[in-house]
Amino acid sequence: MSTSATTFIPESGQAAAVEHGHDEQKQSFFSKYIWSLDHKMIGLQYLWTSFFFLLLGGLLAMGIRFQLAYPGMPVPLIGALLPSTIAIDGVILPGGYNMLFTMHATVMVFLVVMPLLIGGFGNYLIPLKIGAGDMAFPTLNAMSYWLYVLSGVIILASFFVDGGAAQSGWTAYAPLSSTPAYMNNTQMGQSLWCVGLFVNGLSSIAGATNYITTITNMRAPGMTMFRLPLSVWSLYLTAWLLILAVPVLSAAAAMLFADLNLGTTFFAAQGGQPLLWQHLFWFFGHPEVYIMILPAMGLVSEILPVFARKPIFGYKAMVWAMVAIGFLGFIVWGHHMFVSGMNLTLGAAFSVSTMIIAVPSAIKTFNWMGTVWRGSIEFTTPMLFALAFVSMFVIGGLSGIFMASTPVDLFVHNSYFIVAHIHYVLFGGSLFGAFAAIYFWYPKMFGRMMNETLGKIHFFATFIFFNLTFFPMHNLGLGGMMRRIADPTVYEHLRALQPINVFVTWAAFGMGLATFIFLWNFIWSLRHGKVAGKNPWKATTLEWTVPSPPGHGNFETTPTVYNGPYEYSVPGMAKDFLPQNERAPEGARLEVH
Amino acid sequence: MSTAALTAHDDSPDHRASQRTAVFGMTIFLASEAMLFAGLIAGYIVLRLSSPAWPPSPDLPKLPVLLTGINTVFLIASSFAFHAAEVAVKKGKSGVAWLLVTVLLGSLFVGVQAYEWYHMHHEGLWFNQGGAYGATFFVLTGFHGLHVIIGVLMIAWALIRQLGGAYTAQSHTYLILAGMYWHFVDVVWLFLYSVLYLV
Ligand code: HEM
Ligand SMILES: [Cu+2]
Repeated sequence: MSTSATTFIPESGQAAAVEHGHDEQKQSFFSKYIWSLDHKMIGLQYLWTSFFFLLLGGLLAMGIRFQLAYPGMPVPLIGALLPSTIAIDGVILPGGYNMLFTMHATVMVFLVVMPLLIGGFGNYLIPLKIGAGDMAFPTLNAMSYWLYVLSGVIILASFFVDGGAAQSGWTAYAPLSSTPAYMNNTQMGQSLWCVGLFVNGLSSIAGATNYITTITNMRAPGMTMFRLPLSVWSLYLTAWLLILAVPVLSAAAAMLFADLNLGTTFFAAQGGQPLLWQHLFWFFGHPEVYIMILPAMGLVSEILPVFARKPIFGYKAMVWAMVAIGFLGFIVWGHHMFVSGMNLTLGAAFSVSTMIIAVPSAIKTFNWMGTVWRGSIEFTTPMLFALAFVSMFVIGGLSGIFMASTPVDLFVHNSYFIVAHIHYVLFGGSLFGAFAAIYFWYPKMFGRMMNETLGKIHFFATFIFFNLTFFPMHNLGLGGMMRRIADPTVYEHLRALQPINVFVTWAAFGMGLATFIFLWNFIWSLRHGKVAGKNPWKATTLEWTVPSPPGHGNFETTPTVYNGPYEYSVPGMAKDFLPQNERAPEGARLEVH
Repeated sequence: MSTAALTAHDDSPDHRASQRTAVFGMTIFLASEAMLFAGLIAGYIVLRLSSPAWPPSPDLPKLPVLLTGINTVFLIASSFAFHAAEVAVKKGKSGVAWLLVTVLLGSLFVGVQAYEWYHMHHEGLWFNQGGAYGATFFVLTGFHGLHVIIGVLMIAWALIRQLGGAYTAQSHTYLILAGMYWHFVDVVWLFLYSVLYLV
C-alpha cells in the first residue's frame, strides 16, 4: 500500500511529501481515481456514479409518465432506441411498462438514494467530521464502491437479456416473481435482479462495517458521542440498520434466485409460502425506508442551524428520536401487508406500532422548526432545500399516518396514494436532503461555490414541479387509480381522471428538465465557481477547519474537540459561531458542554 | 488508523489499537452474517410450521441424524483445534500442527456434508424435489457449507503463511479474525443442526 492514512499532504504540500518521503504527489491515475483508498475520493466516486444512475432512473420515470398520459403512442425522440422487450416501433408494451417501473424504483432505491446519501456523503464526511485521517478500513471501502458499481452493471445488463428486465416491481412479490412460467420461462431478468441486489447488499454491509468501526474507534480526542454532529449520528444509526436489515434481503433474494433457477419452492403457491416473501422483504423494506431518510435528516439537521445562526433545538432529543425510529423501524413491517391476508389483531398491532413511529418523526420536525424559529435566516440554496425537506417530509409523514390505519389502507393500498406518499418522503425528503447537502458541501469538496442564481432557479423549478407532479397523485389514488397499470384509459372508472394524468406527466417533464440546470451548475462551478476558502458558511464542525478540498490525511495534526457541534450566536462571544476545536472565550455561555 | 500500523510486527500501542479496530470490524460483519442466517432460518421455520406434515410426504427420506451428529463433533473439534493453534502462537510457538488439524477437520466436515448431499439426492431429495423440505435443506446447508469452505481456505492460507513464520506472539491479527469467523460458522451450524435435523 503506497498511502499512509495518517500522513497529511496539503494540496500543494510538496514540503510535506518530501518530508515524509511518500509518493502521493505522483500517484498514478489508477491509484488516485480508480482504486483510490482515500475516503474523499471514494465519496466522490459514489457521488458521480449515483448521478449517472439518477439520470437513468429519471429517464425511466419519464418513460412511465409518457405511457400513462399517452398510452399507445410512440415515445418521441428515444422511442426507436428502446430494446424490443420494452417497446416496438417506439410504442411501449405492457410488459415493457412493467420493466420501466420495476427498474425505475430499483435503480432509485439501490443505485441512487442509498449510494448518494450513505456512500457519497457518508464516506466524504464521517472522517472529516470526527477528526480522523481516513476510514478504519480503506481497502474495504474501495471494495464497497466497486461492488456497488458491479451491482449497477448487473442490474443494467438485465435490460438486454432474453425476455428483458424484471417485471414484478421493486418489491418483487411472489409467486409473480418466483415462477418462471409466468415469464415465458425467460427468468434471466428477474434472476439478475436477485444477483444485483445481493451484490449491492455486500457493498452496503462492507460500507456499514466501516462506518460503525470508524465512528466508534477513531473519533478525535474530545469528540464524545454527544458532541458528534447529527449527520454522523444519523449515518451511524443507518449503518446499524444496514447491518441488521440488508442481510435478510440477501437471504430472500437468494431463495428467490433458487426458486427461479434451481426449481425450489420457497415462495410457490404449491408447496411453499408466497407470503413468506412479503414478510422477509418488508422486514428489510421498512428499515430500508429509514435507511434512506435518516441520513437526509442528519444532513439537514446540520444545515438548518448554520443558516438560522442558532443551535439545533434539542440535540439529545434529535439523537434519541433517531434511535427510536431505527428501533421501531424493525417492528412495523406488517403495515405493508394489511391486505395480504393478515390476522386482524396482528394488523391492529402493526397499525399501532406504525403510528408510534410517527412520534419520534414529529419530535424531529418540531425540533427543526424550533431551530429556525426566530433565527436570522439566510435563504441560500442549501437552506431552501433543507426547509423544503422538512415541509415535504411533513406531507409524506402525514399521508403515512393515513395508510397506517388499517381501514384507510384497505381503500388506498396499491393505489396512486401510495405513489404520492413514497415520493413525498423519498423525493421531497431524501432527494431534497441530498440536494441541500450537495449545495452545502460542494465548496468543501471542490473548493468552489455553486452558482446561487442557478441554484435558486433549480430549487424553485424543482419544488414547484415536484408538487405539481406528486400532489395530484393523492387525488388519483383516492379516485381509484391503481399503481402498476400500463394503460389507465382502458378502465371505465379512470377515464374521468385522465386529464390529471396528462397534467402530472407534463409537470414531471418540467421537473426532469430542472435537473439539467443543476447538472450544468455542478459542472460549470467546478471551474468557474467563486473560490470558497476554508469556511464559506461560517460553520462550526471540523471539516470547515481544513482547506477546501482537504488534503490527503485531512488534518495536519489531530484536532482536539472542546465543544458541541452547534454553537451559533453564543451569548457572550464576539464571533457568532464557535468551531468545535476552539476553546470558548471567557464568559461565553455555551449550549452544550 | 494508519495502514502502516496494520502491518507493524510489534507490540506498539499503534499495533494493538489497529488490532482492536480489526476485531471490532469483524464483530460487526459477523452480526450481519448472523442476520443472513436468521433470515434463512426464519424462512425455514415459517415453511415448516405452515406445512401440515414434516417431511411433507411420508415417502421422503429422513435426514441422517447420527452421521451428521458425528460430523458436528468434527466441526466443534476443529474449533477447539483452532483455539489450540491460537494459544500456541500466543506462547510464541508456531501452532502449525494445530492449524493443520483444523484444516483437516474442516475439510472432513465438508466431505461428509458432500456425501450427505449425494446420498439425499440419491434418495429422491433435491432442490426441486421434496417441496419446501428439499429446498430448505439444500439451500440452508448449502449456504453454511459455502461459509465452511471459505473458512477452511482462510485457515489454510494462515497455515501456509505460518510455515514461513508470519505470526508472532505479539502480532497475529489475521489469526484472530479467521478464528472469530471459524467459531461463528461453528455456532451457526449448531443452530442449523438443531432445527434441520433434531427438532
Ligand atoms: C411517519 C412516517 C411514515 C409512516 C407512518 C409510513 C407509513 C407507510 C405505510 C402504512 C405504507 C404502506 C402503504 C400501503 O402499501 O398500503 C407505506 C409505504 C411506503 N413508505 Fe412509508 N411511512 C412513513 C415514512 C416513510 C419514509 C420516511 C419513507 C422513505 C424515505 C417511506 C417510504 C415508503 C415506501 C417506499 C412505501 C411503499 C412501498 C411499496 O409498496 O412500494 N415512508 N408507508
Ligand atoms: Cu413501511
